Amino acid sequence: MRVKAIWQYGKVYIILLIGLIILSVIGWRAMGQQSFVRTALSGLTLGALYFMVAAGLTIIFGLMDVLNFAHGAMFMIGAYAGWQFYTNPTFLFGLAPLVLALVAGIVVTPLIQPLAMRWAVPARWQRTLRAVVIVVAVILIIVALLGLDVRGLAKTAMVATMVDPLAEATPQEPLAVFWKRPLLFFLAGLLIALAQARPGDRTQVIRSGAAPRAIVALVGFVLLTVAATLTRESGAISVLKMNADARFFLSLAAGALIGAGIGAAIEISLVRPLYVRPTFLILATMGLSFVLRELTQLLWDPLPYAMSRPPLFSQPGKAASILEWFSKHTLTVEIMGVTFPSYRLFIIALGLAMFILLMLVMNYSRLGMTIRAGVQDRDMVEALGINVRRVFTLVFALGAGLAALGGIGAAPFAPVEPVMGDRFQMQGFITVVIGGMGSYSGAAIGALLLGLARAFGDFLALKFSLTPAVSEASTVIIMALVLLLRPAGLFGKKE
Amino acid sequence: MASQSKSPKRFAALDSLLQGLKRSRGSLLVLAVLILFPFVFARITGTSVNEGPAKYWQGQFIAVFIMAIFAMSYDLLLGYTGILTFGHAAFFGGGAYTMALFLTHVAPRFVKTYRVSLPGGLDVTEPSAFLLAILLVVVVSLVLGLLFSIVSVRVKGVYFAIITLAMAEAIHILSKATDFVKWTGADEGLHGVPVPAWINPTQYRLRFYFIALAFAVVMYWLARRIVNSPTGRIFVALRENESRARMIGYNPALYRTIAFVVSALIAGLAGALFSVWTVSATPSMTSAVTTVNALIMTILGGMGTLVGPMLGAAVLEFFGQFLYQWFGARWPLVFGIIFIVLVMFLPYGIVGTWRLRSAQWKRRWSLRKQRAAAQE
Repeated sequence: MRVKAIWQYGKVYIILLIGLIILSVIGWRAMGQQSFVRTALSGLTLGALYFMVAAGLTIIFGLMDVLNFAHGAMFMIGAYAGWQFYTNPTFLFGLAPLVLALVAGIVVTPLIQPLAMRWAVPARWQRTLRAVVIVVAVILIIVALLGLDVRGLAKTAMVATMVDPLAEATPQEPLAVFWKRPLLFFLAGLLIALAQARPGDRTQVIRSGAAPRAIVALVGFVLLTVAATLTRESGAISVLKMNADARFFLSLAAGALIGAGIGAAIEISLVRPLYVRPTFLILATMGLSFVLRELTQLLWDPLPYAMSRPPLFSQPGKAASILEWFSKHTLTVEIMGVTFPSYRLFIIALGLAMFILLMLVMNYSRLGMTIRAGVQDRDMVEALGINVRRVFTLVFALGAGLAALGGIGAAPFAPVEPVMGDRFQMQGFITVVIGGMGSYSGAAIGALLLGLARAFGDFLALKFSLTPAVSEASTVIIMALVLLLRPAGLFGKKE
Repeated sequence: MASQSKSPKRFAALDSLLQGLKRSRGSLLVLAVLILFPFVFARITGTSVNEGPAKYWQGQFIAVFIMAIFAMSYDLLLGYTGILTFGHAAFFGGGAYTMALFLTHVAPRFVKTYRVSLPGGLDVTEPSAFLLAILLVVVVSLVLGLLFSIVSVRVKGVYFAIITLAMAEAIHILSKATDFVKWTGADEGLHGVPVPAWINPTQYRLRFYFIALAFAVVMYWLARRIVNSPTGRIFVALRENESRARMIGYNPALYRTIAFVVSALIAGLAGALFSVWTVSATPSMTSAVTTVNALIMTILGGMGTLVGPMLGAAVLEFFGQFLYQWFGARWPLVFGIIFIVLVMFLPYGIVGTWRLRSAQWKRRWSLRKQRAAAQE
């Protein structure tokens, strides 16, 4: 009875495990230890990267049935943001005041809502009024950006050599010219807040306690804006002066935060109005990924850049074991007779850490509980009085942040280029389909399988003197096979 | 109606024909304009039909015809059956590559080895090779459509989108893989495909114009017939409410497969014609951008209308050029923003919104009339 229960519960795991063991024994025998271990480790690296893309995708889909086609773009933005922060943060510091000012404007929504909803706006003009207000806000933003050399700021990191980071510190626009820009952005934010307050719509419910919080947020963001405006240059220089390793880890955090912020913005502006039209939602996110890719291409040209590895992973020499690496920080590590780049091991570790973190969040936090409940039955969660809208925004931000973190992790390993997002997104999609939509452990196993399949596929392709393109195309066959056997994916819920 | 009942029985057929002509007078008018266009345009510009601006604009229209058919085949899926697929480029590119590969590698050998002549002694080797190519395109499109359906027909919605995207991506990767560089030309693609002389688009532009136009008309007629047939009604039923359609006794998988295969066939033929028109087959024809183009044309024109996507194709091809001149390299960015705005604020497209609005206006108009009558 007990055995039967275990079989029932974990038959997919058991079959997969047995299959993997058999395959690895065959592989070990056929390929020899060296190439087997090397290929397996490469596969794990790829799998870790795929997991970072797929985790956010699968959670977002599980909770809100949204297939985020802009997820790969988040990955790419993470890579660009991390690369910028690490090599030369002039661009990020130069734009931070503007973004903060915009947010400072938007957060006043609860303050003006009680006033705006009492305006006597006829019902048929409300929509038009909101549209006009938003258009004016967009025009304000464009006016605010006029004359600001955004491309010049963006270009600063491209010529950076890591010999003397301080030599790259580029001057920002003087404050006497710059001060209007955050102000205009703040005004645009206020207009957006006005549109969000839906003037004339008296059916809205005012939440008590929202206004004091909005005041705190407003003051906080205004202060942040002022601080960011003043430290545009000195902040960038102090980041560049920092120890390179610390800067690297800081860039991981910064990229993830930027990704999460952009994710939240996307959810609020683009995704929220379209929940009722799922097909159009997919199209909108697809258009967005297009726009984001073109934007990065405009700012940084369609060239691939290589982000240099932090000194932690680039000391010359070879560590005899992982333990020795901790004291020597060498470029490569010897594992089971194979010399392997230490940075790739870091990617594997990052993927593992992300999986564990996600597991902890999903299983032991309130947010995770809400998400799991929402995946099961969204309406019920809403009926129980949980603000599902906010949870949606949070989850979207979380997923985008995870993808961005993956992007920075990948940046020193894969070329940073505008198309990197699409490439990883495709693999992320396949991963999610294999693992089953909505299950993050499924995504982990799918990513592992796909990464290993890619690595061994490349090996086989080389063996038969084919190009890696063939093995890349053949991952689709794995997906097709899984779908034919289990249409909902390995761990997806059955419909 | 009254005249119909009064008219003698032998005129019934003629009468229904006239009725049909009257109903489709709009499309017939457009067709007439398109047929006359090359001549009128040449007269206006004062050049010969086969040179100068007349030739150039014929070329523009040829591209529009082909893309219109491609977009229309996409609408059969998205607009009528409610399937969101991202793999349509595979069919278009598949047709293009089949045609180009056959014409480049097989047809010359075929012409050298075999002789096909009509009973009258007329030598038709080259046309029959071309016919063979078209047949092959049909077969390849059918096979591709079936292949895609087999894998994806059991899943729905988002899964379908992902799977078709992945499969099309696989085909795209293979189309530019360096392993097959000998045949496909890898990244470069095939250029200077030896199309038969009698259909050469540079030499016989006007002829090609009419071939493309005829192709578009036939395909549109075919799609219209399918959509209006009982099978087409089931497509719509699947889009509106799948479980109800299943409950009535229609097999969703079967009908979705039919829709998919038909659409793949039309797209494949469009791709084949496109490869003859551009005398090339490149990996960009199988790339996701091609699918997205069809998608945008469909959304822009209005999905579920058949005419809409064709209009969308025309708008995109013509305005795209002007926008490209204005914005230069930034054009894709503007394009993406326009796409998002369309999706968010004009979901029914040009034709859909027009129909919606005109129905509203008509209702308002008749209400006003009634009110006026009541007051009197």
